[in-house]
Amino acid sequence: MTSQAFADRLTSHPRPVIVDLWAPWCAPCRRIAPIIERLETEYDGRVDVWKVNADEQPEVVRSMGVIGIPTVVAFNAGKEIARKVGAGSEADLRAMFEAALLGEKPARRSIAPADRVLRLVAGAAIIVLGLSAGPSIILLAAGGVVLFTAVADRCPIWQAVRPRLAALLGRRDGSAG
Amino acid sequence: MKSTNEAGWDRIVRVLLGIVLLYLGWAGIVAGGWGTFLKVIGFVPLITGLIGFCPLYAIFKFRTNKAA
Repeated sequence: MTSQAFADRLTSHPRPVIVDLWAPWCAPCRRIAPIIERLETEYDGRVDVWKVNADEQPEVVRSMGVIGIPTVVAFNAGKEIARKVGAGSEADLRAMFEAALLGEKPARRSIAPADRVLRLVAGAAIIVLGLSAGPSIILLAAGGVVLFTAVADRCPIWQAVRPRLAALLGRRDGSAG
Repeated sequence: MKSTNEAGWDRIVRVLLGIVLLYLGWAGIVAGGWGTFLKVIGFVPLITGLIGFCPLYAIFKFRTNKAA
């Protein structure tokens, strides 16, 4: 199928669509397949699932700008609403179905407030400890990492980089499986 | 994603314990071999507390929080 034909099919389709880009050799794809099948049954008649074999449809893969598989893309009225690169959890994939259904981006999952406070306090404590003990590069780095994990969900650079990292890791998993 | 198996109080205790152990080791309160041991082992409760997942709990099918 050409990319134009695929785009036309998406635009003219009467229901929201989840496009699941996969390949038979990709282990993470096989891991999420039963979750997608379950959600497909649950959203039957409201959201359709199109499975696209990346090996058989390279033009479609290229035209969608897919950087790794599995990639799940939510479409509503032919318009891309959201994209999940890498093997997501059931909650992630359910959020994609909801995004397709509602035509809105899924709510960003953020760190729970108590978790954020715990990480901020622990990170600050480790940095203080690192400064008082030498200073110790190991403790300063560890404290920095802990502090970053407390705010990573609000960091636009990390949000941009994370899907690419997930895709790289996913590709590595796939080639191993 | 790995689900958590520690309750909030469990995580706080682990983080505090980790910081205390790291302090004892890195600040030189405990010197010698034990000091080096604490410098390393302190990261274990700290990390398991921060991520909320304890591998030992998982092995023994134990948890301090409610199942998700």
